[in-house]
Amino acid sequence: MAVCVAVIGKDNSPLYIGGIGNDTNTDNELSRQWLVHTALDALEERLATTNTNTTGTNTNAARTDLRDLYLGLLYSTDTHKIYGYVTNTRVKLVLVTSSISPSGSNIRDAEVRTALRRLHALYADAICNPFHLPGDQITSPKFDKQVKSLMLNNV
Amino acid sequence: MADDILFELLHSEIINYSLEQSKDSNEKKETDLSVVEYIGFAAGYKIMERLTREWPRFKDELDTMKFICTDFWTCIYKKQIDNLRTNHQGVYVLQDNAFRFLTNFSNGHQYLEYAPRYVAYTCGLIRGGLANLCINSVVTAEVQNMPSCKFHIHVQRT
Repeated sequence: MAVCVAVIGKDNSPLYIGGIGNDTNTDNELSRQWLVHTALDALEERLATTNTNTTGTNTNAARTDLRDLYLGLLYSTDTHKIYGYVTNTRVKLVLVTSSISPSGSNIRDAEVRTALRRLHALYADAICNPFHLPGDQITSPKFDKQVKSLMLNNV
Repeated sequence: MADDILFELLHSEIINYSLEQSKDSNEKKETDLSVVEYIGFAAGYKIMERLTREWPRFKDELDTMKFICTDFWTCIYKKQIDNLRTNHQGVYVLQDNAFRFLTNFSNGHQYLEYAPRYVAYTCGLIRGGLANLCINSVVTAEVQNMPSCKFHIHVQRT
């Protein structure tokens, strides 16, 4: 069950943070921001190893894996699991799920991957709005609606 | 194809319009193409987000330039860059032997003085695309013989 989705810009400034379920009220805004930002260090670490691998002498298989935009599980706490995705344009997409899902079944990696890919597509569409300036927060209600339905349906 | 023509006509009208605007504002002889360059920048920035969606992460700067020469150029001008040269110190020269905005004019030196107008947009396009990929650069163009055009990319490292 996805509880929160975030889009983080090139300079680590939050462009969009959205949550569903119990997390929608503004009281939880802070905890959501905190959850997302704890994952950023892990995310930067993964990216750094990607860069050293290309110059170093790592195995080819590991390298192709790290060139994937989807970074997988970044960080897990008692209550949440945080997955990351970094686009070629250094925009970070973060998806937070609760570890204790109500249905009892664990979320599959492939599901998270498809959800993040779809989020990337939605983000690219939102960016193509000619009135949107690069680096601004995404305030589009359409984007918000689509992301919320993505969180509800897919994961 | 019809959609190509639309882009070409719109492009030339944008240039006409901005020339007209700069003529009104000041009586100087130099023409102001920074607006056209900025339009290109904004377009390049947004195209890049879409274009790199299905693409694996770039290894390094040269990898990125190769992407500009092949996929980016094919997407906009329906052909690839003919020649890519670099000094491996942040200067790249992209040569297009039949640059689309110039092919309709002449195959020689006629209208050569007007050529810079028609490359400003593309300079911005390249700069915007690279800026979104976190490469800050200065892009200039050089036209010596009409349909062919060279784009010089100086990567700013700070």
